[in-house]
Amino acid sequence: MAQLTKRGLLAAVVCSDSFMKLGKAQAKVFGVPDLPLLEIKHPLGGLNMDQVRERAAVAMPQLLKFINTSKENNSGK
Amino acid sequence: MSSITTLLQKPGALIECDDDPEAVFDMLCAKGWSDGFPVIPPTPERVERMLAYCDRDFDDPVIKIPPRFGAATPVRVAANAVMAGCKPEYFPLVLLALETLAEDQYNLYGTQATTHPCTPMLIFNGPVAREVGINSGHNVMGNYFRANATIGRAVRLALVNIGAAIPGTGDMATAGTPAKWSFCVAENEAASPWEPLHVEMGYAKDTTTVTVVAAEGPHNINDHESLTPEGILRMVSGTMATTGSNNAYYAGQPVLAFGPEHAATVAAKGMTKAQVKQWLYDDAVIPLSRFSEETIARRFRRRNAEQYANAPLDTPVHMWQKPDDLIIIVTGGAGKHSQYIPTFGITRAATKPLKRADGELVKSIEELKRG
Repeated sequence: MAQLTKRGLLAAVVCSDSFMKLGKAQAKVFGVPDLPLLEIKHPLGGLNMDQVRERAAVAMPQLLKFINTSKENNSGK
Repeated sequence: MSSITTLLQKPGALIECDDDPEAVFDMLCAKGWSDGFPVIPPTPERVERMLAYCDRDFDDPVIKIPPRFGAATPVRVAANAVMAGCKPEYFPLVLLALETLAEDQYNLYGTQATTHPCTPMLIFNGPVAREVGINSGHNVMGNYFRANATIGRAVRLALVNIGAAIPGTGDMATAGTPAKWSFCVAENEAASPWEPLHVEMGYAKDTTTVTVVAAEGPHNINDHESLTPEGILRMVSGTMATTGSNNAYYAGQPVLAFGPEHAATVAAKGMTKAQVKQWLYDDAVIPLSRFSEETIARRFRRRNAEQYANAPLDTPVHMWQKPDDLIIIVTGGAGKHSQYIPTFGITRAATKPLKRADGELVKSIEELKRG
């Protein structure tokens, strides 16, 4: 995702809450400190389909907001 | 070559503290530069002494350690080796271990950050391991021996202090393992009925090597009764075949560390290492039905569909992918025990020989002494 961001593409990472510190640290290490992390509830493993849908429902608005904000920023340039 | 004096002039290279071991320990713990045990304060003088057997540029990294990708320069590693309690003559082996962890197939990034309880198991072979006193006898995986304790500890401190494998931030291990403090052994080559690990891998017997494995802690195999190779191996395979092991699903390379007495019984009728590996590959199996319904449906039938999509429930699941993937060593003292060491999933073992900076193999640690 860091590489995609550096190439100018929109990229974001889905990250469970327990892994947010690692995600933020790694974004910095890879030179994209503002890489959007779409925060969902931990865990990701061992979920049934309803639980997967719940997490998707939490991630999706964050993703749309990121896309829209990026569009606005780009149109202002 | 960069001098210590020059390197210590870099910003942040020196930090002041009261000249008191407790104050130093408190400060290091407060900064997160510790493994929780007391350390030797890494003063400039001690770091310089630690580099007495280092023939590399003190400021040229041997590896960049993830997840921070911190540069493991000899001078930084030396500070960690001082903290760990290493003798200067251990230092080239610490550097060698770190260099070997940089091999792609080991997957240091994944093994550092994973939730799985893995840590580098360092297996040393060859003359320098004996020269510096790495234990290969009684209690080989336990306490007491300075070389085993401090070489492994220095590597772990470097992984934390240089690589930022900090629990909850860079090291996401759910529970971890006590082996993370140190897991460093030598093979008991004199007590082995087979060729040692490094010879099996194509190195000369008088070459010193380290093999690194992304290992769990050791699991004991007690067998005081079996008198035949098949008897011992049956007890070994039963210990290996467990449903919760990563090795049932991925291409890792678990280690079987025979105690010398078990090894002697297994080899008594001429069984080679390759034959032992094949025997155990065939026998250390679990029927698919022993896994949970969800694991069968999701892990096997979906993720490993090529092999298991329509497999009957009595299909044997092997505990590693190919017979030769199992690593066999002989180590430890007298007694009817062996050890099985499962691994992380997406990893392969890596081996490197101990060389001088000019590329020549090191036959004695004294060749590396400076000045």
